[in-house]
This record gives sequence, structure tokens and C-alpha cells, in this order.
Amino acid sequence: MSTATLPAAAVATPSGDAVMRDVAFIEQMLRTTLGVRVALQSIGAGVASWILLQLLLTAAIAPVTQDAVSPWMFFAIPLIASLTVVVLCVVMLWQNVGSISAVRTALWIEEHGGTDFALVTWVEQHEADRHVEPSATFARVVASASAAALREARAALGPLARRALLGPLFFVVGAIAVLVAESVRTTIRQRGSLVRDGASVPLAGARAGVPLRPWRVRIAPPTYTGLAAIELSDTNAVRALSGSRIEIVGQDDRPDRVTVRAFGEGDSAARAREATFTRQRSGWSVAVTATDGPLEVRAVRDRFAKLLLVEGVADSLPHVLLNAPIRDSVLRTVTAPLALDATLHDDLGLVSAEFEVVVSSGEGERYTVRTERVGAKMLSGAHDARLRTVLDLAALALGPGDVVHVRAVARDANPLLRRGVGASDTRSFRIARPSEYDSVAVEPAPPPDVDKSLLSQRMLLMLTERLDARRVRLEAVVLRAESRTLAIDQSRLRQAVGDAVFQRLTGEQGGEHAHSIGDGHDHGVEAIGGKLALSGANTQGMLAEGDDAPVVAINTPLLEAYNAMWDAGRALEQSDTRAAIPFMRRALAAIERARAASRIYLRGRPPTVIIDLAKVRLAGKDTSAPADREARSALPSTSSARERRLLAAASLAATDAVAARDSLALLRVESLADAPAFATALTSVLESLSTGRDSADVTARFARARRVLGGIQRLPSSAWSRGGTP
Amino acid sequence: MSIPRAVSHPVVAGERGAEAPFVFATVQYDSGDWDSAPMLPANVIDAVARYTSLAVAPQGVSVPLSSEACFQYPLLFLTGHLPVRFTAREFDVLRRYLRRGGLLFIDDHNHDVDGAFHKTVREEIARAAGALVPLPNTHPLYRAFFVFENGPPTTSHEMNGWGDNLVHEQLDAVLFGTRIAVLYSNKDYSSEWSYHPDNKRFLSVDNTKFAVNIVVYALTR
Repeated sequence: MSTATLPAAAVATPSGDAVMRDVAFIEQMLRTTLGVRVALQSIGAGVASWILLQLLLTAAIAPVTQDAVSPWMFFAIPLIASLTVVVLCVVMLWQNVGSISAVRTALWIEEHGGTDFALVTWVEQHEADRHVEPSATFARVVASASAAALREARAALGPLARRALLGPLFFVVGAIAVLVAESVRTTIRQRGSLVRDGASVPLAGARAGVPLRPWRVRIAPPTYTGLAAIELSDTNAVRALSGSRIEIVGQDDRPDRVTVRAFGEGDSAARAREATFTRQRSGWSVAVTATDGPLEVRAVRDRFAKLLLVEGVADSLPHVLLNAPIRDSVLRTVTAPLALDATLHDDLGLVSAEFEVVVSSGEGERYTVRTERVGAKMLSGAHDARLRTVLDLAALALGPGDVVHVRAVARDANPLLRRGVGASDTRSFRIARPSEYDSVAVEPAPPPDVDKSLLSQRMLLMLTERLDARRVRLEAVVLRAESRTLAIDQSRLRQAVGDAVFQRLTGEQGGEHAHSIGDGHDHGVEAIGGKLALSGANTQGMLAEGDDAPVVAINTPLLEAYNAMWDAGRALEQSDTRAAIPFMRRALAAIERARAASRIYLRGRPPTVIIDLAKVRLAGKDTSAPADREARSALPSTSSARERRLLAAASLAATDAVAARDSLALLRVESLADAPAFATALTSVLESLSTGRDSADVTARFARARRVLGGIQRLPSSAWSRGGTP
Repeated sequence: MSIPRAVSHPVVAGERGAEAPFVFATVQYDSGDWDSAPMLPANVIDAVARYTSLAVAPQGVSVPLSSEACFQYPLLFLTGHLPVRFTAREFDVLRRYLRRGGLLFIDDHNHDVDGAFHKTVREEIARAAGALVPLPNTHPLYRAFFVFENGPPTTSHEMNGWGDNLVHEQLDAVLFGTRIAVLYSNKDYSSEWSYHPDNKRFLSVDNTKFAVNIVVYALTR
């Protein structure tokens, strides 16, 4: 407007009509300038009133009556008020614009041009009667005077417009800038509470005013627990037994929606569902059922949200401790009843308990299994109990190789069958097979004949050596008597060893009963002068004749011992102890060799096969044709995501503690399952925020939670530390 | 993942990594006959060496399930005929082993869906890792090295009427995400693969090739 120029004809050829056109043009310029100024002033006033009302509602009204004021009021009231101010301003100020006329314009020109009111007089005359033509002289005077006045007015129009418009313009721009800054700040604060991975999740308390009024939470545990329902006032986190009914009761208008989201592995979005409202007499209610894991219940109204975090706790299985028997065992025979003893505990109450006995029989590819239940007991809700009974193993008709598995099981009142039962460790008792007696731990039993012979022969040798040392001091009668006694013992021992020489198929052992020349019993040996010798015919393979079971083996070292004992016995019969001692030593050594040779390990170590890798490497003729391997996606780093959320909540805590608490509570329940230590650290932070402790304490707890999340171990300060541990 | 991976490219002939060789580990558990297939480890090792360039130890090991030594092995093999009841310590180690990325391969030596091993070990796995579900025959396991278009290869014990006299079309598994944590077989590979590797020359078709897939899968997924 300041750059507008007057029509050229008005200056070059001043005349009556031309003067009036110039006046009308200047009048229009003045109207436009004043109109724009009025508009700017009105807008500025409107914006200023918007800001003032927002500040007033936020700072003064909301903390007191936040539950009573609907959220749209925070937007509608300032809008209506500011529009009203704008209209009032326009109405009031527009009067000045409307009062501008040709005469007033001529006066304004006179103020700037100074034509001694000739222009005003002419304009008044022209306004009074447009058909009256002024005299030629007067017209010339007016034309010449007005030309100069109009030039002056044209020069003054620009500064006038600047003065009229700059002030309101600056005010409007400033007000709008404040409005935009406040809006941006609010947006940043709201996004600051969005601590999830890129998801836009507004949390309760993201703004200072929470639109949903406080609610009540009623927790009804499952019926089988017999526990009473409890009701809590407004809270954002509850801990409930799995299966409990959580009912949220609100007293205000119902939210737009309530979503329930379960945490756990998998796509969380797919696990979210919308809850169904129930209309109440004076409000609304929503019911959810607690699960084994955490749940998030989110009530949303407009752009506000309110959270309830449900920490589901699974009903633990009964704890069962088997006190007796205390260890597994291998039994040779079933000799005595087995005492069973177990201690039981359950947090809600035990219903029944029993011992479960599983007996498996068979070998190779064929097994049969049967299950017995003993000592069953009804416990009628006791928290602790003791279960005792005696298991009669003989009644189980166990055979060699059978295995008995014993464990105690207990049930509580939880009706969920697939949940299982509380069970103790399992003890196993195996009945040894005869073929493995030598290699397994069995109940104490008499030593094998060979071992007995070994001890006896060593003792006889010692007695003989002692007698030989005393023989020079003994009378001949005494020496002969003692030596004869030893000879009888040696003969008895020889006969015992002879019984072990032959190993028969049935386990029966037989010795010298049939070993005489020409007796018809050819066991692969022949008797020569009281001693046995391997015959040339049947020294290999099985022998079977008469009623005797087939002989599967002849113990050659024992055969040697047998013969040496025969020689030793003959020397002792003759009181020649010195001659007997070498035979006795030879017999002892032979028995030891037989004992070592007959030790067989049937079980305990699988056959060792070592692959010759160099030989077989890539020797296979089949070639593979695998499909292209899929690119492996990077594992999602749960910890780093949690750390980002923790840091966001920490920065939010300084400006909006409510939003920070909600974010931390959400993070805590999500971490309960796989990061319990971190969840515990977050509990500490939440306590600190709730109690309003000093910021240093809160910061220290945040730092500790971050260290726990990262698995960082802080060492205590030492003499070599530069400073204390923060 | 704390479990060491033997090699990163197991199928490239002639390539040798500097990593520790793959060691086939058989699980010892307190109850039952864990050592019922003593020749199977040697046969699997032979197959791995015969078809791949994987660095592999020439002899398998037995590792108690109650020991954290389990964490040294990416693949654990568990078999038996008798009821399986894990102790609390065995549960603890198994849970951590699976969570850290290990693969437990269980084979029912009875080949009997109504057998004691089948019933008890499924209960125990459900308590330790979750319920076993059928593994689709299109799973990458069946293309990890050799291609098995029809899923797990049939065993002679299935065909000859042993056990439950059924041919099982699928294996079962517990999946952590898309990764197999527990692989369960009713097909009695314990009998099928438990023979001396030298006798493999008498077979027209090597029946241990599927073991290579399991090993390669355990090392690469």
C-alpha cells in the first residue's frame, strides 16, 4: 500500500472530477490500511486470549478439577473465547473504518498539504450537490492547491501505513510464535513418553491432566483357591493369581476402547485384543482374566490413556521332597520292604498325594511297563504334609533286570489337568542280572570260591613258613602232628579249588569226583597219580555226557594250583615243611592268576570305536543338493531396546513423573519372565519415584538398573581406585 | 550365544576352520538306559566326515545332563527305552542349554508311541521347554544338507513291525521362534544307526545321511 501511486491524470490535469477521483483513491487507501490494522489487532487479541485461557486452565483449574473437566473443554473453551474476542474487536474497531468519508479524507489531505481548506470546501460542495459546477476561477484555485496537497498526502501515506500495521503485525506474529512453540513443546513431551520401539503409545499422564477419572480394581481369585476377593482404589499395577478375574470399574463416561495385551514371545500386536465393556449404573466396567504372564490393560479416550498392569502369577505346583529312599541302588535279590517318605508343601493347599511306582521289565527291543500307586492320601487343603508308606517289593514280583522307579506326586486343587502334578525326584532300583554280578554294586554277599581259596592258601602258606622256622626247636612228634594238620587243611582246600576248575553251562561246578583213570568221565582232563592233567582229546569246546551239564570252560590256572596243592599236601604229610613251601607259593600265584582272569566286565563302558577321519573323509558317494541358505536375520536385541526405553523414561522422569512411572511399570512387567534381576531393579526405581525421594537417589537407582540390564559388575573401591563407586 | 559353533561354512570341501571340531555328545540322565545305542555316535561321526568337510572329533563323548559341560556342545543326543524322569538339576541345565541356543535330539529307542519312554520324555520336555508339536516336512532341517523331499527317512524298524508297528510321517519339535530347540523322533534311529561304521559298505543306500542334516542344522541355525 505504501508503494501505491496516484493516477497520473490527477496530477497532470487537475480538474473537478480529477480531484474527486484523487480524493476517492486516497480515501480507499485509508480504508484499506485501517481495515488491515483492525484485522491484525483482532487476530492478535484472539491469539492472546487463547494463550491466556490455556495457561489459566492448565495451571489453575486442571489440578483441582481434572476429573470433572472433559478433555474437549481444554480445546473448546479457549477457541470460543478467542473467536469472541476477535469478533468484538472487529465490531468495535470497524467503526473507525466506516467513519472515513470524502470530507474526512479531504481534511486529512489538508493536514498534510495545506490548501487553506479550499479542498475541503470544494469537496463539501461537491458532496452536497454533485451537479453544481464550481466557478472556473475557484476550480483552478482548487486544482492548483490540491495538486500540491495530494503530492504531500501521497508522501505521507506510506509512513502512515507502516505505523498503522507494523505494531499489530509484530504482535500477531509474536502471538502465533508463542502458540506454535507451546504446541511443539506439548508434542515433544507426549513423544517423550513413547518409550516403546518406535510404536506410538501414549501413556497415561503424558499430559498433566488425566482425562479418565480414578477407577476401582476388584480382584477375584479362582474359586478353587477359596480366597476372598479384594478391591483396590485407583492403581496402575496389581499382582494376581493366574485365573483371577480382574474387574475395572469406572465412574465416568466409558473410554473409547480398552485393549488387553499379553506379553511374551511372538508378535505382540497379534496378542492384543479389545475388551468388552459392561454398562454399570453409574459408569462402566471391564473384566479380564489374569494369565501366567503379565497383561497390559489400556483404556483410551481421545488422546489420553490410562494403564493397568496385571502381573499374573502362576499357581505353583506342589513342592515334593523325597526323603527316603535317599539314593538309587542295584539289588541282587528283593529281601526287605522299602520305606518311602516324602515331605509335601503347597502355597494354596494340598488335595492328595501318593507314591508312583513304575516297574519296567524286559531287555533289548522288548519292554513292558506297569504303574502302581501306593500310599495314596487325601490331604483336604493342608499346606504342609508328610507322606509315608512301605513298599513291598516282593509283591511286585520282580525279576532279574527289572527296574523300579519310585517318586512321590502331590496335587493341589487347581483343576487344570494339563498343568501336571508336583513330583519329587525319581529313585531307581534295579534287580541285577546274574551275568552282571561281578560288575555292579550289589548287596553284600559271600566272596567267590576263588577269592576264598586265595585267602586260605595265603594263610596256610604263612602257617607253614612259621612251622618251618620253629621246626629245629620242636620235638618230632609235635612237628609231625602240626604238619599233618596243615596237610589236612591243604587237602580240603585242594578239593575246593578242584570244584572250581570246571565251569558248566548251568553254573554247576564239579571237580574231582569223576576224575580217575578209566571212570568214563572224560572232561578234558585225566587223573595221573592224584594230580590232574589236560587230556589231548577234548580240551576245547563243550563236553557233555551222562547227567552232568556240559562243561563250557576249564580253568587252567586253577588246574595248576590244584596240582601244586597236591604236591604241597604230600610234603606236609611227610612233615617236610621246607619242601611244601615252594608248592604252596606256586599254588597261591596260580590262584591269583585265575582270579584276575575270571574278572569280566559286562557293562559300564560301550565299545570304543574311533573313526579314522583321514580314511573316510569325503569318501561318501552321495552328493548333497541343499537349497540356498536363507540369510540369517539379526537377532533382536531385547536388552538394547530395553535400555533405550529405560533412558527415555529417565529423561521423562524430570518433567513428567507420572508418565515415567507408567513407562517403567510397563517395562518391569515385560522383564519379569526373562530378566527378573532387571525387573527387581526397576521396582526399586519405581519405589523411589513414588516416595518422591531426592533426584540423586532416583538417578542412582536408574544407574543401577542400567548396570543390571547390561550385566555390569561394579567392584568396590580399593586403595588403587581413583574415586569411589558412584 | 555362548555355545561355540564349530564352523560357519560346513559344506565347502577342503575348507578347514580354525574353530574347535564338532563333538558328538550323548546325554547321560539319571533315570533310564541312556547308553542303549552305543554305536550310534561313531556312525554319525563317520557320516559327517564322509560327506562334509566339517572339522569333527573322531570319537563321541558322554556328558551328564546335570553338568554345565553340556553347554560346550551344540548338539546333544538323548535316547533310551525306560521311563525318563529328569532331576531338578537336569531340568535347570536343560532349560538353560536350550535357551542358549543348543539343540537336543531325542530318539525313542522303543519306537512306541504308547511306550514308557515316549510318554515320560514328552512330559519332561513339556516341563522344560514346552509342548512338542509336529514339524512340517518342509522345514529347513530337511534341506540343511541332503534334500529329503518327504520329510524324515523311514527306518527299517518301522517297516519291519517293531515297536508300535507304525510308520511315523513326521518328527516332532519344540521351536524357539523358527529355530528347533528340541527334535523328537519316534522312528527309532537309535536302532537304525547303531552299527559299526565299517558295515556301511554293505548298504546300497547310506541310512545315516539324515544325521548329517541334523548336525549341519545344529551348527548353522
